[in-house]
Amino acid sequence: MALTTRKLWFRLQSLRSRPRLERELDAELAMHLELETEKNRKAGMSEEEARRAARISLGGVDQTKEQVRDAWGAGALEGLTQDVRYGLRSLRQTPAFTVAVVLTLALGIGANTAIFSVVNGVLLRPLPYGEPERLVVLRQSLAQPATPSIGFSEKELVDYRAASKTLEGLVEYHTMSFTLLGGAEAQRVQTGVVSPDFFDFLGVAPLLGRNFRAEDDLPGADAVLMLSYDYWQRRHGGDPKVVGKVFQMNNRPHTVVGVLPNVPQFPNENDVYMPSSACPFRSSQRTRENRAGRMLSVYGRLRPGTTLAQARSDLAAVSSGLAADHADFYPRGSGFTASATSLGDELTLRARPTLLVLLGAVGCVLLIACANVANLMLSRMLRRSRELAMRAALGAGRGRLVRQLLTESTLLALIGGVIGLALAAAGLDLLVAFTARFTTRASEVGIDGPVLAFTLAVSVLTGMLFGALPALTARPELAEVMKEESTRAGGGSHKRRARSLLVVSQVAFSFMLLIAAGLMLRSFWKLQQVDPGFRTDNVLTAGVALNWSKYDTDEKVRAFGDELVRKVEADPEVSSAALSFGVPLGQSNAFNRRFQIEGRPVEQSARPTLDYKVVSPRYFETIGQRLVRGRAFEPKDEHGGAPVAVVNESLARHYWGNQDPIGQRVSFGDEEEPWVTIVGVVGDVRYYGLDREPGQELYRPFAQQPGWGAVLVRTRVESSRVVALLRRAVREIDPEQPVDRIRPLSEVRSESVARPRVTAILLGVFALVALVITAAGIGGVLALSVSQRTVEIGVRMAMGAERSSVLRMILEQGLGLVIGGLALGLVGAVALSRLIERLLFGVPGTDPLTYLAVALLLLGVAAIACLLPARRAASVDPLVALRHA
Amino acid sequence: MPEAKDPRSDLLQGTLDLLILRTLAAAPMHGWGISQRIQQVSDSVLVVNQGSLYPALYRLEEEGWIASEWGASENNRRAKFYRLTRNGERQLEREQENWQRLASAVFRVLETA
Repeated sequence: MALTTRKLWFRLQSLRSRPRLERELDAELAMHLELETEKNRKAGMSEEEARRAARISLGGVDQTKEQVRDAWGAGALEGLTQDVRYGLRSLRQTPAFTVAVVLTLALGIGANTAIFSVVNGVLLRPLPYGEPERLVVLRQSLAQPATPSIGFSEKELVDYRAASKTLEGLVEYHTMSFTLLGGAEAQRVQTGVVSPDFFDFLGVAPLLGRNFRAEDDLPGADAVLMLSYDYWQRRHGGDPKVVGKVFQMNNRPHTVVGVLPNVPQFPNENDVYMPSSACPFRSSQRTRENRAGRMLSVYGRLRPGTTLAQARSDLAAVSSGLAADHADFYPRGSGFTASATSLGDELTLRARPTLLVLLGAVGCVLLIACANVANLMLSRMLRRSRELAMRAALGAGRGRLVRQLLTESTLLALIGGVIGLALAAAGLDLLVAFTARFTTRASEVGIDGPVLAFTLAVSVLTGMLFGALPALTARPELAEVMKEESTRAGGGSHKRRARSLLVVSQVAFSFMLLIAAGLMLRSFWKLQQVDPGFRTDNVLTAGVALNWSKYDTDEKVRAFGDELVRKVEADPEVSSAALSFGVPLGQSNAFNRRFQIEGRPVEQSARPTLDYKVVSPRYFETIGQRLVRGRAFEPKDEHGGAPVAVVNESLARHYWGNQDPIGQRVSFGDEEEPWVTIVGVVGDVRYYGLDREPGQELYRPFAQQPGWGAVLVRTRVESSRVVALLRRAVREIDPEQPVDRIRPLSEVRSESVARPRVTAILLGVFALVALVITAAGIGGVLALSVSQRTVEIGVRMAMGAERSSVLRMILEQGLGLVIGGLALGLVGAVALSRLIERLLFGVPGTDPLTYLAVALLLLGVAAIACLLPARRAASVDPLVALRHA
Repeated sequence: MPEAKDPRSDLLQGTLDLLILRTLAAAPMHGWGISQRIQQVSDSVLVVNQGSLYPALYRLEEEGWIASEWGASENNRRAKFYRLTRNGERQLEREQENWQRLASAVFRVLETA
């Protein structure tokens, strides 16, 4: 023990007094040289000769110094700079190798950096709100699967505020679309309607002006607005004097009181915000007093010291209290309850599985790249084995050689990392756009400290990983190398095994990655094959949200709609036009209404719901929705006429089975139209997503139930040619009425599957990169093996082996590795299949067809990669090969 | 930094250590002197090159078996003189015993086998 301490002290001393040690060593060696020279002189040599002989007898002075420094041991840092210098020199000597390795690594590290920057921004970084871990989302739900979550009414919000023991500061939110006047043209603005303390609740301080205050929400208060950062930049060019400006909205002046900072908005992105009293719909007497008028989202903050689990049981208790107090509104057996989730989870719910799969995919790509680079390093080591053996013979310790190799690999990885970082930065905009489809946190994605640290760590780890294998198999034995030199072989069996193992694992990882990509593509293809129940060709759609306050009677709404359809249909290029609440696949929400069927009385609270839609007469014809029986709406179904409805097949089948629903009557408890007669049945459509089963729908004619937000136009020509016509028609009726979201229906459809499409494309690109790298790896290893076995092949051929059998031998060697890798990859893929299953539609995670197709693809590509070296082997000239032996 | 040691170089290294310790047991000496002395005594059979000598000296000093100080050489120049420490004397005894045991074992094998 004492000895060890003393040794440590000695080393520390020598570390501290390094320059002195160096000086002393110089002096000592100079002295040595001088004494040796003197001895030679005395032996009768000339001065010149004596000096030269002394130097020769002593070997290199520098080399001796080096060895003493090695013995000092503390020279790690010095050794490092030397290793780096030496490594750079040797990398410069083999530019092709260096470029190949650096590019491979840059791709791998770049992809990882890019995906990690998204994971970091979306999943890892804490929310940019005050005490984000305490923020929760409240949810009321029914057991019916059709309505997983039902919103809150004002009365309910008040009850939860009063009764909850675990939550404080409950705030409300809903979003509306209003028309804003006062700029150059009328604009439709997405408006977040919130409690006055909403932003204080989130801990967001205004960038300009002030947050809402309690007095802004009092009845009769002046209407105020806050602008979102993005809207302020986009529409007002970041004007610092925007606070105090007045805009006309809902027939009232609204004053801007503040601008929000650039933080992700929750739960949706809005252009402007207003306190709930300013929303004409929300603040109407009817909404406020209706306990079942559930239009609000509610958020809360956990009281200090309470957990999410406590909040959940608290909410469940409060909700069962509500159900007991107001039995009319919460039917027994409906499974009504309330719960909460953390805001962070809620925000990233949809992004998480996709991002994790992508992170796994790029990890695979990097591992495959590592394996390739390790293989390149091994081949390079073979060529350098002479150099390494020499250095070993000249006194370089094994540890020193390993260190040298690791330094080189780390250098390569770091250079690759820098280029990869540049690649990631270049592709970041695309990724942010991709992420924005999943979460509003996309705006936080960027290359920052943690991302840089990640890239550095990945680079160093990568370098260690692909450097360790060649370094560990490095056994510089001079005798062995010299001996092997004559056969030009090199690389003992352990190296060959290492290379084979690398190829097998490369194939395994590629296989897994290709399967993931294959499953995603197949799932996407299935999604594309889904028949939505309507035709998307030559239909133009547009949003026309009428200004609530201006069009405040049914007559005005109806007049606008009728006039618009008439004007548009007057054009010869238009074959029909229709109005509806929304556009199919256009991300609208269902309007669920309770109903009962004539002759099957059910008490109010136990009535089932259906999805209630309003359309103008030629709607079904316009989108190409099939009429199964009965009739569609006709002009005679007018206001004041007999109330009629059309139902879809799902609803008809569910309530009438094989009977004919036509002529049956349903009621929505409406006093004006107590009974509505079903006059037709239409085919099912996938309205809310190609991957969602059709719901039970009932359609009412626009004339009897005025209300619309979208216009659809079927054209005889390419649909984009009627855009101007549509705009002009709206402007002629009301110049203050904005039109937005003008898109062909086909685009609406393709946009609705953008998420799986982009995920499939990303995975596909990663898998393709992996495939190419792997093919290069297999080919490279086999080519090396062929060049090592040239003599053996020559002997075989001299003994009478056919060229075809040589070809087969090499192919078998290569494909044997591939099949081994496929087997391993299969096990991995099946084990991980559940992870990706959440992203798939209509395809199981273990879809045999995909597995088989991918295996064949990989085998085919591998066979091509093997063919080149195999053909070279088959073309070996036995004479030449043997002469070289 | 522990490095895997080749058994051959271990033997050589151990032998060189022994020779250095034995030489210094006679009198303190500088590096060149040690190499000359070993060469002389062994009738030039053993030639110690400086590439092994100086790292060995450093190592022995680190182990605490020898100590060094600067003094004047024969030609009146500053030179680094090494001397055996008390620990070094004990180490020398141990190594000598080891060596003799080994040598006599080898000798017996050569005689009888």
